[in-house]
Amino acid sequence: MDKQIKILVVDDFATMRKVIRNLLKQVGYENIAEAEDGVTALKALKSQKIDLIISDWNMPNMTGIELLKEVRADEELKPTPFLMVTAEALQDNVIAAVKAGVSNYIVKPFTAEVLNEKIKKTLDKV
Amino acid sequence: MDFSVLIKSIDDLASDLVFLDDKEIDIPSLGKFMNHLENIIKAAEPLNIFPLTRVATALNQILESVVLDTLKDKALGFHTFETGIALMQEIVQNFHSIGEYKASIQPFLEAAASVTGVVISEDANVNISQEPDTQASEEKTQIQDMSLVKDFIAEGLEYIDEIEVNILNLEQNPESTDMINTIFRPFHSIKGVASFLNLEKIRDLAHNLENLLDKARNMELRVTPSLIDVILDGADALKAMILQLKDELENRPVKPLSVDLTVLIQRIKKSENGDEDLPSKRKLGEILVEDGLITTDDVNQTLDLMRDVPQKKIGEVLIEEGKVTPKQVSQALRKQAEQATEASTLRVDTRKLDDLIDMVGELVITQSMIQQDLKQQANADKNLVRDISQFFRITSSLQRTSMSLRMVPIRQTFQRMSRLIRDLAKNAGKVIHVEMFGEETEIDRNMVDEIYNPLVHMVRNAVDHGLETPEERVMAGKPEKGLICLRAYHRGGNIVIEISDDGRGLSKQKIVDKAFKKGLISKLDELSDQDIFKMILLPGLSTAEKITDVSGRGVGMDVVKQSVEKLRGKIDIESKQGQGSTFITSFPLTLAIIDGMMVKVGHEVYIIPTLAIRQALRPARENYNLVVGKGETINVMGQLLPLVRLYELLGIEPEKKNPWEAIVVVVEGENRAKCLLVDNILGKAEVVIKNLGEGLKHIKGVSGGAILGDGHIGLILDPEGVFELGEGK
Repeated sequence: MDKQIKILVVDDFATMRKVIRNLLKQVGYENIAEAEDGVTALKALKSQKIDLIISDWNMPNMTGIELLKEVRADEELKPTPFLMVTAEALQDNVIAAVKAGVSNYIVKPFTAEVLNEKIKKTLDKV
Repeated sequence: MDFSVLIKSIDDLASDLVFLDDKEIDIPSLGKFMNHLENIIKAAEPLNIFPLTRVATALNQILESVVLDTLKDKALGFHTFETGIALMQEIVQNFHSIGEYKASIQPFLEAAASVTGVVISEDANVNISQEPDTQASEEKTQIQDMSLVKDFIAEGLEYIDEIEVNILNLEQNPESTDMINTIFRPFHSIKGVASFLNLEKIRDLAHNLENLLDKARNMELRVTPSLIDVILDGADALKAMILQLKDELENRPVKPLSVDLTVLIQRIKKSENGDEDLPSKRKLGEILVEDGLITTDDVNQTLDLMRDVPQKKIGEVLIEEGKVTPKQVSQALRKQAEQATEASTLRVDTRKLDDLIDMVGELVITQSMIQQDLKQQANADKNLVRDISQFFRITSSLQRTSMSLRMVPIRQTFQRMSRLIRDLAKNAGKVIHVEMFGEETEIDRNMVDEIYNPLVHMVRNAVDHGLETPEERVMAGKPEKGLICLRAYHRGGNIVIEISDDGRGLSKQKIVDKAFKKGLISKLDELSDQDIFKMILLPGLSTAEKITDVSGRGVGMDVVKQSVEKLRGKIDIESKQGQGSTFITSFPLTLAIIDGMMVKVGHEVYIIPTLAIRQALRPARENYNLVVGKGETINVMGQLLPLVRLYELLGIEPEKKNPWEAIVVVVEGENRAKCLLVDNILGKAEVVIKNLGEGLKHIKGVSGGAILGDGHIGLILDPEGVFELGEGK
């Protein structure tokens, strides 16, 4: 598994971004970018090559699902793997994300191992 | 019929399934399948192929359970899915060729239900078995990085401040989902991080609050004041917990929490079920203690005694002990019973209630139409007339009863205000005793929330400006403790709410001086006390010398007056310098009925709210003048008031154009009075206000409609709007 891939972590809560960053580091991913909401995430996606998006669902300005839809509607960004973070499996949210073309979803709170597992599964498909 | 789209969608789904590389479906493929199914359902609906829609829905359910990982037997699920697709192809082909599908889809639906259905009960087990898992994994995510916790504390506190501000906004717009969302999000984020950092208590509390808000967001719960109280208390507790964490981190002594978390979480859960925060049923002993008949020690002693004779009741034992008389016990029991009946009320959706009241309103209108029809028949059947009048009595009592369903006691509002007074007094460094009278007085549920804000403003004024500080009071020879009285009673069709304080009272001189300075009066005006006091209701006239953080922020009594008038209420003020002031507000009991005067203009009938009418008269010819720069005026008792020709504004051909032949109604708007020219006054009427609906809602000059006794529709005029129409605004 290529640990050099660039991962974009999207969450409005800075502490949460740090948590995910730490977990990613624990399993060897070091190349991480951050964005505080969907709008800044889209900007980041357009200005640099991102190999995987890990995004929260609930954010101001542009929510995770809106970001997902934007990404999937963009010819260039379309194939980017997208991992959605949700709170305790809010079923409707998960289903909506799946329909919108999410690569996988992960339920908070999660361990570094689970995160690693999900990332592997997501990237294997590409 | 066009089957091509449908057939293509099903074929797409089938081929996608066939081309799946391995037998484990990944999430993106699941998403694709779901979208196919959605297309199939969409295409099948207009063609009325119900069996297909049902099969597709069942398949969708299977997919959903795969996504959510709640499927026990994945192989079986996959197999059922394949069968389902084949079945759909068969159904479509049958419909295409012979227009129907004869075989039963029941066996398949049952098979699908058993695949997913088992899952539902299985689901609970799965969750339970996962519980220790998450616990264990959480422990693994030990707080390795202290800086994370520090970040959490700082960001979390910021978020809570944000929540507090937004909750206050929510209180103003309880219907706004956006507002709920902005409060929901921070709780959600706090919960998320807390769960990673293993801060279980914080996570639990935030989680419960989040659930509560989620329900409010989905319109399952109404945002009531008590809901807001619970959320505020929750936010307070969260803040306290985060501060505890901070103290712990910085090696300072940790302050104990002032609230009991379990109790708080129970309260949150209770509100989640839609239970208002009502005091629970009190025990007999407590009631007797409260009435001052016995002491708590007495109760405890008696309870000890009762251990030996468990079959006896506490009342009996107390009587035997000679501590209370049987009469006192029976009184206390009655009090307890009153509370019990209060607790056993049935909660009904207000929409249902409104519908019922609406229908009863229609019934009343219909019956008065029947009555009029009957009157026109010269020799109507006597029996019929008698029966109809019986019917009339029943409908009007039905109307009264149904209106009363929506009535609630003012008690809760009073209790909230008294709590507020307590808090405010503390801030202001004052000691205040609150007395309440007439808490049982009933008012329309819809009015309760509306009147709260203006009342609160007056209460704040009373605490801030009305009552003196303890030192000042002692110097003035008054008891140190200030008194605020909240009083409610019915008068006519109104509920009257009085807020009085025994403070310094209004200073007439100060008001007059200020009004003079602002050019609102000339020194020569002769003013009654009432006139002077009422001037504090004018914009820009506040007599407060000190600005505090609650009142005196530029939001003065004028705003109170406006919001009271919006509810068709009015304010009177009584005050004696040095002895206190009383603000007397009266509101109609309900917003659903208006007391109006029916007037005729041409062939049309309009209703003018009685509250806005000062008088009606036929002016003498010489009282009609054309004043340069002012237009037409009528001299009404020495006052020149502008004349508004209603028929011109409304575009109607009137019967009479000359004011001295017609009638003018002197109507008051927000700060001026004018004369409305009408053909005739038909009489007084209590009418049920009907909404004009979205399209006509914003028409100026008209605030609603009503169905009149003869079945015709009368529009209710909004005086201020009519004035503005006339002024060409």
